[in-house]
Amino acid sequence: MSSTHQEALTMIFPVSAGSEAALDDALATAGADAALGSMNFGKVDGLHFARFVVIPPAPGAGGTVQLFFLLDCDAPARTRLREIVRDGGAGLDAVLRWCDGYPAESERSAASRSDYLRRHIQPSAAVYVNTVGRTVKQIRAEATLRESVEGFLDRERDWSGKRPGEIRSAIQAFVAADGDLRWALLPAPQPSLSFRARRYLNLAFGIAIGMALVPVALVGAIPFAVQLRRLERSEPSPRVLPDDEHVRKLGEIEDLVSQNQFTAYGEIKPGRFRRYLAVGLLWAVNFGARHRFNHGNLAGVKTIHAARWVFLDGRKRMVFCSNYDGSLENYMDDFIDKVAWGLNAVFSNGAEYPRTNWLVRDGAKNELAFKSYIRAHQVPSPVWYSAYPNLTAINIENNAQVRAGLHGEMSEADAARWLRRL
Amino acid sequence: MTKLELDDIQGLVARGYGRLRAARFLVLAFGDIQPARQWLASVAGELTPASEDPREAAVQLALTHAGLETLGLAATTLAGFSHEFREGMTTPHRQRVLGDLDGNAPESWRWGGPANPVPHALLMLYTANEVQMAGALDAATERLGTAGIRVLVTLDTTDIGEVEPFGFRDGISQPVPEGFGREGRKEDTVKAGEFVLGYPNEYGELTDRPLVDPLKDPGEVLPQDSGGTKDRDFGRNGTYLVVRQLEQDVRGFWRYLEETTRGSNGDVRPEERDRLGAKMVGRWPGGAPLTTSPDRDDEALAKSNDFGYHHGDAEGLSCPVGAHVRRTNPRDSLDPNPGSADSLALNRRHRILRRGRAYGARLTPEDALEASSPDGIERGLHFACLAANISRQFEFIQHTWANNSKFDGLYDEVDPIMGTRGAAGATFSMPADPVRQRLTGIPQFVTVRGGAYFFLPGLRALRYLSSLK
Repeated sequence: MSSTHQEALTMIFPVSAGSEAALDDALATAGADAALGSMNFGKVDGLHFARFVVIPPAPGAGGTVQLFFLLDCDAPARTRLREIVRDGGAGLDAVLRWCDGYPAESERSAASRSDYLRRHIQPSAAVYVNTVGRTVKQIRAEATLRESVEGFLDRERDWSGKRPGEIRSAIQAFVAADGDLRWALLPAPQPSLSFRARRYLNLAFGIAIGMALVPVALVGAIPFAVQLRRLERSEPSPRVLPDDEHVRKLGEIEDLVSQNQFTAYGEIKPGRFRRYLAVGLLWAVNFGARHRFNHGNLAGVKTIHAARWVFLDGRKRMVFCSNYDGSLENYMDDFIDKVAWGLNAVFSNGAEYPRTNWLVRDGAKNELAFKSYIRAHQVPSPVWYSAYPNLTAINIENNAQVRAGLHGEMSEADAARWLRRL
Repeated sequence: MTKLELDDIQGLVARGYGRLRAARFLVLAFGDIQPARQWLASVAGELTPASEDPREAAVQLALTHAGLETLGLAATTLAGFSHEFREGMTTPHRQRVLGDLDGNAPESWRWGGPANPVPHALLMLYTANEVQMAGALDAATERLGTAGIRVLVTLDTTDIGEVEPFGFRDGISQPVPEGFGREGRKEDTVKAGEFVLGYPNEYGELTDRPLVDPLKDPGEVLPQDSGGTKDRDFGRNGTYLVVRQLEQDVRGFWRYLEETTRGSNGDVRPEERDRLGAKMVGRWPGGAPLTTSPDRDDEALAKSNDFGYHHGDAEGLSCPVGAHVRRTNPRDSLDPNPGSADSLALNRRHRILRRGRAYGARLTPEDALEASSPDGIERGLHFACLAANISRQFEFIQHTWANNSKFDGLYDEVDPIMGTRGAAGATFSMPADPVRQRLTGIPQFVTVRGGAYFFLPGLRALRYLSSLK
């Protein structure tokens, strides 16, 4: 049986010079219906999220516009890629023909398209998945399950006087009697043994490296602090204001469903210190996301479905993108109120970020400067797909708990608590 | 604590003028600029500052972005106002944020919508009674006419006592801004900068504000920028004012409650009816909170405000999670760490000072239930609130809390009282043991009829504005 874990694929294509406007048009057409239009993402089983984003060139000569194609999917990613080519070949052609090296019309086939995509895969510096091991199939099926059970409770109106255990039994019987729901009586499948083994190995490896680095850290702590403070005081921290038209465009594609997409990019501050600090911290973020923050909670923020950081242009720039619940205002407030320290540590290595102190203090706490920074660095996703746009991460977790409560023994008190999930 | 310049702040920030029972809000559009400036200069001298607590009359003046622009405020200064204020209430994205869709869409508004003339200002008149109001209104109207200023619409208000039009006690919970000489619970005491520009807010920061090049204020009319620049501060002592005309279907509300709670034999069950209304609001009609008085209204708790949700009612068994007052002021119930000081601190960053007034003749619940057909009188609320940051305060409450179908773990419900719902109606869950009760298809009771974002400037800022050439 295949593993249930998730993989994040990042593909970066160089946009052909002079084709930028045509690409924008093609993306707008594809984005009008990412699920059922020419991209057909909705037909690809196991695809959680997909997006295309255009990243402008770095300031200065010689840069090209780059097209990002980002996928969050159930493993194995190579199968998902094959399915995307199978179901959305025409859509891919319409967009990618404006990128360098895409097969000419006469040479386009499933094989040549797949090959082109694979050749442009780039590693992510850090990846976060809300709950590792929860597949699209599981998320959708458990949403249906919960709706069916709610409907059952509504139809059989009079539950008063019944014990929680009795009601739970009635729900179990209802689920068992429905051939389309019966699967829910078994626990959800877990990531494969080999995936878990690799994760433990990575954890052990990470801890070993960490221990080995303790002497280095002790020796380096003071010079590090001196250099950090010197830079924090001297680096410019200009207040950037987003352009009104830019904000209007971003708003145009926000708050249409319960989830939203976010992509931002920026330059890493000059010098090796900032670059290596960013690399090291993102390694730590990735490690944390893999071993600690892998079930519904990214350091206190419970509204992020998936997120990733990708280096660009030889680590001169960084791209961050995420899928989150609710409004951007709420998302930014969550950042400021719940995880400003973590955000400061990573993003303060980027230019124009509000000034931090000792890496984790101030920064995002400078609320409006931070919010302006976010908007100014944000780019729209002209094509965005979510497999479950109207389910929040909290909903998904609750649905999973509804399902989990269908099997096994339960005390009356536990049954009463479980019923409150409905 | 920073001392507030109470003689420069308009009094509405300090008080709702509850003693002044009559009120009219005039939505204005300027004609020729010069007479408008002269009018402004004379009115600016008559506005009621926060340092006074009038017993007879009060006048306040607020301006829209278009109004400030028309009066000649420099583009660089205008750019210092918040994005949402500059953009206005009716852009497509903002409609989604505010829930102004379908029946609430600005296209059908009476004022402030795309089909209506652009409002420039809001003149707010308060007097002790209706007799005095007649005189005040005549005098104001005459002066406006002389200055070539059009009254686009006059928002009448009605003194219906301490209730809102549905019949529930109103105005119980208000934040207490520091520095106005009032004491409140720690949970409700909020930094002045959340409600007045130019002072530190709950983050200890100064909210963005419109600054003026010192060369453009040679007379030094405006205060110095407290942010430490050489600029003068047009925003200091001012704040944003959100006004929305909300029609309330009082008859529809009470009849819905009555029909929904009929017994199996068709009998009306008044206790169940009132209980359902209370569940939707989160307080009983008399004001007692459901969290502390789950089973009945309690006069002793009529103005009770000293409670939280997390300890004792985390799951909403008493006050449903989706109830109106719980959504619009969740107190200690949300992350981070519900029930903790951190949760309360988060809540304090999303407060508004409510200054609304009811309009239309009072229709009691009894009359609403008796009347066989609507009486043809429109009634509702001229909702008004003050906030230094519209998007973090007013819009956040509206979008992330009241209209959010996913609020605090819910799935598909909006505020049962004021939330935006499509033709299929709203859903509302009432947690209960052993199983929740869930209502679907709840009709719309509140409809938006107009609205705009205003700025309520400090008095010196108004004098500066009237002196522009």
